[in-house]
Amino acid sequence: MKRTGVFICHCGINIAGTVDVKKAAKELAKHKGVVHSEEYVYMCSDPGQNLIIDAIKEKKLDNVVIACCSPTLHETTFRNAAKSAGINTFQCEIANIREQCSWVHKDMNKATDKAIKITKSAVERVRRNESLEPISVPVTRRALVIGGGIAGIQSALDLANSGFEVVLVERSPSIGGHMIQLSETFPTLDCSQCILTPKMVEVSKHPKIKLMTYSEVQEVSGYVGNFKVKILKKPTYVDPDKCTLCDECSKVCPVLVSNEFDLGLTGRRAIYIPFPQAIPATYTLDIKGCPGLLPIACGKCADVCEPEAIDYDMKPEIVEEEVGAIIVTTGYDLYDKENMAEYGYGKYADVLDGLQFERLCSASGPTMGKILRPSDHKEPKEVVFIQCVGSRDPELHCAYCSKICCMYTAKHAMLYKHHVHDGQAYIFYIDIRSGGKGYEEFVQRAVEEDGVLYLRGKVSKIFEDKGKIKVWGVDTLSGKDIEIDADMVVLATAMRPSKGAEELAKKLKIAMDKDGFLSEAHPKLRPVESVTSGMFLAGAAQAPKDIPEAVAQASGAAAKAIAILSQDRLYHAPTVAKVNLNLCTGCGMCVEVCPYEALSLKDGKVEVNEVLCEGCGTCSATCLRAAIQVKNLTPLQVHEMISISLGG
Amino acid sequence: MVNLEDLKKEAKTVLEEGKVKYIIGYEKSANGLMPVPGFIKSPEEVEKLIWTPACVYNLTKFLVDEKRRKSREKKPDERPVGLVVKGCDSRALVVLLQEKFINRDDVFIIGVSCEETGVIDEKKLIKKLKGKKAEKIEFDEKDNFIVTTQEGKVKIAASEVLAERCLECKANSPVIYDVLLGEKAKRSVDNPFQSLEKIESLPERERWKFWKEQLSKCIRCYACRSVCPMCYCDECVADTINFAVTADTTAEEKAQKIKWLEKSPVKSENFVYHLVRAIHLAGRCIDCGECERVCPLDIPIRFLNKKLEKDAKELFDYEAGFDPEQPSLVSSFKDEDPEDFIR
Repeated sequence: MKRTGVFICHCGINIAGTVDVKKAAKELAKHKGVVHSEEYVYMCSDPGQNLIIDAIKEKKLDNVVIACCSPTLHETTFRNAAKSAGINTFQCEIANIREQCSWVHKDMNKATDKAIKITKSAVERVRRNESLEPISVPVTRRALVIGGGIAGIQSALDLANSGFEVVLVERSPSIGGHMIQLSETFPTLDCSQCILTPKMVEVSKHPKIKLMTYSEVQEVSGYVGNFKVKILKKPTYVDPDKCTLCDECSKVCPVLVSNEFDLGLTGRRAIYIPFPQAIPATYTLDIKGCPGLLPIACGKCADVCEPEAIDYDMKPEIVEEEVGAIIVTTGYDLYDKENMAEYGYGKYADVLDGLQFERLCSASGPTMGKILRPSDHKEPKEVVFIQCVGSRDPELHCAYCSKICCMYTAKHAMLYKHHVHDGQAYIFYIDIRSGGKGYEEFVQRAVEEDGVLYLRGKVSKIFEDKGKIKVWGVDTLSGKDIEIDADMVVLATAMRPSKGAEELAKKLKIAMDKDGFLSEAHPKLRPVESVTSGMFLAGAAQAPKDIPEAVAQASGAAAKAIAILSQDRLYHAPTVAKVNLNLCTGCGMCVEVCPYEALSLKDGKVEVNEVLCEGCGTCSATCLRAAIQVKNLTPLQVHEMISISLGG
Repeated sequence: MVNLEDLKKEAKTVLEEGKVKYIIGYEKSANGLMPVPGFIKSPEEVEKLIWTPACVYNLTKFLVDEKRRKSREKKPDERPVGLVVKGCDSRALVVLLQEKFINRDDVFIIGVSCEETGVIDEKKLIKKLKGKKAEKIEFDEKDNFIVTTQEGKVKIAASEVLAERCLECKANSPVIYDVLLGEKAKRSVDNPFQSLEKIESLPERERWKFWKEQLSKCIRCYACRSVCPMCYCDECVADTINFAVTADTTAEEKAQKIKWLEKSPVKSENFVYHLVRAIHLAGRCIDCGECERVCPLDIPIRFLNKKLEKDAKELFDYEAGFDPEQPSLVSSFKDEDPEDFIR
């Protein structure tokens, strides 16, 4: 008979307030095989751990059960204590008598009975535990960053500057993301391009960064430390090494399409460079608008290209990369125009979204920094800004706050006043949320120095009338109806996860929250980690956030990735699935059901990839023949645990 | 109508060509009416084959035995086995293929269509004949059977003596085959779960009472398990010693065998047995009805399986035994799967 020790924690009064710990210790002492049973006020404290270590040594215990809080909290603490006393870490099991007992019950007698049963069943389990050693795997010391916005750029630079190779994948022709479209940034009003382009240049010149633009992640397999990634490199039909950026091709291109960089305020040719500082600095031929890749159909661009950089025969290419960690920074898109028809968005040319207004303010924008109405190119004298368009509206749109709109709307109103001194800016708002360093002062400055008129209320109707945009609303502070004959309306539309993020999340097996943003592993303590180990999140892909937050999170994600990449080997829990080959009929149900793709069929039997296996036990629950089971949680153990709970 | 001579011809051809090692079909028995499974090993023996409305047995079960036998042979004959299947039997075969228990190359499928009718329920027929002993039963044109008794031939409407499952049949002709005899038929059934209506309409307490009475009768002879083509596990939870002793089994494991249920046929243990079996057949049972047919205590076992078949169809739009490539019910997941049971 194995010698078991039982240690019951009071957790102050967290457990002892509802469970009679002395009685529980006494009862456990009578249980078959238990040679030591005691209680203590805080088992996780140093003296508490020493009780365990001393008892293991003095009473020659084979295994121990700690009845305390959830194993997610102190399992590691106690297993390490057990190890330091000379027994295998897996000879220590936790009986959760806090979250699963004392916290959820009021009746002391019943709670005590239940705590005794939980602890006894853990004793039955630990007596049948195998001693296991962690599984060790090598690490591929490279990282993949998906998304080339400010967050992706920051993560890639931090990783590369720490000496690790980085593959940075961006689906559009240039890195820079939404930040490169902005004019100035709050609260300091520095020029967005001026502060971002040095980082973009650094990316392009960095020897450790392999930049893949116009590329998309197709498939990810493998596991932490050893991912295999297939990346689709879409053809740009232009050889970046030969292209001299002479712009002759775009001059002759007969196709004019909407320019996504200016959000449709201008047009561009089918062969184009997104913006002058694009990285990589080269042209891209967008076949969506192009009449055909055959010289017979058009071929004008190739005719004029002196360096012969244009190659119509370029084909899509699949590039395979091996990496040890992945950072996902897929960013955001603005809430679709179609959803905001009530504000005339998409219907009236002078109703714009925030990003379009950024382009109007931008020195490199379609109006060269002059704020002009798209409809008649006149200077607007009255501009209405509307906040929370689509945000904070659980019934019709998005329930959450998009977080950055209060600040950028204040900035927009301020920039407008700096351009049009005799103009008037109105802002309709629900609340002003200006938490952040220098943020509140920034909003105050808009009100006090630039005379921006804040109106607390919602807009009821927007319609065009005699060249003006009539805005009807209500000021809930004065109770008055408001009517403004505006020249321009700017909507602070909600931030949504970028299009395609869901598809990518499924490929990566990263969870998404109800709004489609990528889920972090723990909202407070693991904010940059995804639930899949080795995959990290940063930027607006995880939740709406502004530039400083995105940058901070990107550096945090890089640091987490470095924690993996700097290891020689990674260790993996050995409580993995094990196949009983005699019982396995090779039906493959477990293979289909495994969420980690850890199982495969080989010669008519199932095989476990122990590194991929997370020991979740889904296979074991699915198998009709009990042919696959998780180590240290076998059917025998479960049976004994149930039996003892039912009274032995 | 399926011509028996065609069946014999097909069987003879494949045996003569050496395409199959033997054929499992139906042959006449000493009792007269009900046939027995026949194992036809040579072209001369094909004359023994018969095809009548009394060919009720699901012969796919014999593939399970064949697989076991073959695995023990040192130099096994790698040729496929010829197997005569009806529509329902072919669906059982599809599940065995889906679960990769049988390889498609290991079976030569001789499909016979039930066309517009099906097979009989022997008990119904005996009742119908009121004491007269049936010696022979044949398919007739349209929806009738011709029964020969000592007092001559009688014509009986098929619907009166058809097996319950045939009245709810979804596959009157085989869904998979190498050769097909008879017409491909698709009989439309208004409600393939009509037999459940009565019991489903009962209040919970009545249903509980019904099952308590029914399952108390069980003597745990395990005939239902023996006849079921899906019950092919080497080890069954119902066996007292549910523990395969293998080379890797440790002494301690041997000493602590799990006993999930008691052997004694008492109500509680009978419930565990039948419910475990029903759950293990969810999304796998194709309603060949053999379990209920062989039950010496007339326990309506089919209801349990039928109910799960209905749930699978209604909740997950899943039907077993039509596509060997589809993922199994318990291992597949769709975004739109109901999850209101999660609370």
